[in-house]
Amino acid sequence: MKKRSYYLLAFVIILSTILSACGSSGDGKTSETGNGSSTPTEGNQTGGEAKTGDGTDISGKITFLTNRTDMIGKEYDEYLKRFNEKYPNIKVEFEASQTDYNQQAKVRMAGDELPDVMFIPTIPNSDLPKYFLPLDDLGLNDNMTFKDFKAFDGKVYGLSSGNSTSGIVYNKKAFADAGITEIPKTWDEFLAACEKLKQKGIVPLASNFKDKWPLNNWVYDLPRVIENNPDFPNAKLNTDTPFTMDNGYGKALSLIRELNEKGYLEKDINSTNWEQSKKDVASGKFAMYFLGNWVINQVIGAGTTADNVGFFPLPYDNSGTVRAALSPDFFYAVSKNSKSPEAAKAFVKWMLEDSGYADFAGFIPPLKDKESTLAQLKEFKATGVELQEGTPDNMDVANISNKAQLDLPALAQEFVLAKDPQSVLDKWNKAWAKAKKDLGK
Amino acid sequence: MFSSLSYNKQKTIVIVSFLLIPLILLATFTYYPAVKLIYYSFTNWDGYSPEKPWVGLDNYKEVFSNPDIFKVFEHNFAYFVMGIIQNIIAIYFAVVLNSKLRGRNLFRILLFLPYIMNGVAVAFMFGYVFDTTNGSLNLFLNSLGLTSLGETSWLGTDGLVNYSLASTGLWRFMGYNMVIYIASLQAIPRDLYEAAKIDGANSWQTLWKITLPNMKPVIQLNLFLTVTGALEVFDLPFVLTKGGPAGASETYVQRVVDTAFAYNNYGLASAMSVVLLGFVVIVLAVQQFVLSRGGNK
Repeated sequence: MKKRSYYLLAFVIILSTILSACGSSGDGKTSETGNGSSTPTEGNQTGGEAKTGDGTDISGKITFLTNRTDMIGKEYDEYLKRFNEKYPNIKVEFEASQTDYNQQAKVRMAGDELPDVMFIPTIPNSDLPKYFLPLDDLGLNDNMTFKDFKAFDGKVYGLSSGNSTSGIVYNKKAFADAGITEIPKTWDEFLAACEKLKQKGIVPLASNFKDKWPLNNWVYDLPRVIENNPDFPNAKLNTDTPFTMDNGYGKALSLIRELNEKGYLEKDINSTNWEQSKKDVASGKFAMYFLGNWVINQVIGAGTTADNVGFFPLPYDNSGTVRAALSPDFFYAVSKNSKSPEAAKAFVKWMLEDSGYADFAGFIPPLKDKESTLAQLKEFKATGVELQEGTPDNMDVANISNKAQLDLPALAQEFVLAKDPQSVLDKWNKAWAKAKKDLGK
Repeated sequence: MFSSLSYNKQKTIVIVSFLLIPLILLATFTYYPAVKLIYYSFTNWDGYSPEKPWVGLDNYKEVFSNPDIFKVFEHNFAYFVMGIIQNIIAIYFAVVLNSKLRGRNLFRILLFLPYIMNGVAVAFMFGYVFDTTNGSLNLFLNSLGLTSLGETSWLGTDGLVNYSLASTGLWRFMGYNMVIYIASLQAIPRDLYEAAKIDGANSWQTLWKITLPNMKPVIQLNLFLTVTGALEVFDLPFVLTKGGPAGASETYVQRVVDTAFAYNNYGLASAMSVVLLGFVVIVLAVQQFVLSRGGNK
């Protein structure tokens, strides 16, 4: 009996040493955190020196968690080579994210295990200082688009990695085959073009309705440019009936509903295939997409030449003046716990200024003084379109949306499929008003 | 050092040390998360912030007061119906393939194979089968001359979509049920059949009076798996329809996942999971009660 308890004791001791080993490594983490939070002042100074172009004195090893897993071992290797010419003492490791970047980043936030350089997931701006370092000292602020998007208390925590706009990406040959000589400038002209395409047996617009996310531009971009109010999505906060037929939401959704009713979308919009649609747009079986400019390079990659793909703003009404939404992609940020924040900041600055990532990814460059090299974007701008910068999401609006379980693209699906679209708007107005009341806003 | 110990003590040490690892694994990956889940269900946690505000029973009140949350169980009903059909087919094949049939092992393997495949891969594959314009199912129907049927939007019609999805589940899990049934068939003593034969029973009578009663515990098990499976469907609609068209194929678990990961409401999602757990227990208890009545007479 006595011996048995010895062995039990031995087990307990072994177990507790294993567990305490885990614990002590955890302690190590927190002491690093302590160091990390004491360095920002140094970071400011060295960051200032980085501007002079002498990068040899910055050293360190940083990790960059990227969503572009396809670029690892290819473009990133080439970036790193060029980066190290300027900053020979900085080691950069590229870490591939899982498919859901946002989710993975949040899990790592909860676990306090952030990489040095990363993109900001969807968190309220008030939480930014908890996880990231201010980037004001990079000297880019005056040249940045969307510099206030991820800012809090006057400090900038995130810098846009690239911007995009939305419009009609089309197959030029399909347009020519259908006898469309000029790009449509009004909604009526647009419908006429669709009719011509349909007569030719070409599916006018690939909506990819089933996958839901391809409807994002209809509900996030179009309403605010129709209203000519960049802050329109946040104006929902002041009303109990944000969705009406005669405001931006109702008008934008009615457009896609009209396209579907006239048979200008896929034959069965509940059975669409995104990967196949890229090939079909490339081959001219489908004529158009209403998506962000990022899709241009993907269509070209799916099997056509660059000069066969065009891009023009969607004429949402008959006024003849057209606006399009300019929206930021992911934002670079430097983690607060980074062991070498200067190196991380230098890397972010380099990625924005010298990497050429925006052009590679088909984005509009986030720096104001840079022009896109993409022919389609030049073509787009030549139409005289006004690009409307968006405003950051109001967290109260986001909270009410989450509480009401409101997902705008899903609302768009319901709206298009419903027999009575007004009832869909009524339903969501009711949910909105209730959630707003529950949260006391 | 162990040789000085008595046999019993050695046995205890061996048992404890062998059990330790699986128990630790079980505790860390099953019980610890389960306890956390119950804890979260009383909070208002958003999924990443360090604070987890305590809200008491609010989440449970929300679950039971929001009719939308329970309405999605209607969609799970289709999976239940298909599950019953699946079990009937499985018993049929089990009985057939348990008899002396040429090439029965080949048939068994063929029917069991779908189960080995990864669920997401199966869903992806059936995406091509059910596609309206290019799908193999509609092409097949068209080539049979059933052109009006060949226009069907299998995944885009309210009401039909859940049965289309559930039929995929049937295809995948039927072989698994069948294998369990075959195992139980083989455990039925041969002499029962011989006695029945001597008494002049025909094959229908032996099926009803000998085979099925002897398989009852296994049928019970399979029904339990079917019911819980129907309540917990997730991967098929998640991959194939994302709950569409307009939420017509959204299942309960999918709603839980959306609540947690799309709407950042981990507290409510945890409460929904706990409620689902409660449901499974209730369904199991009712089923046990109903099915065991006959046996206790």
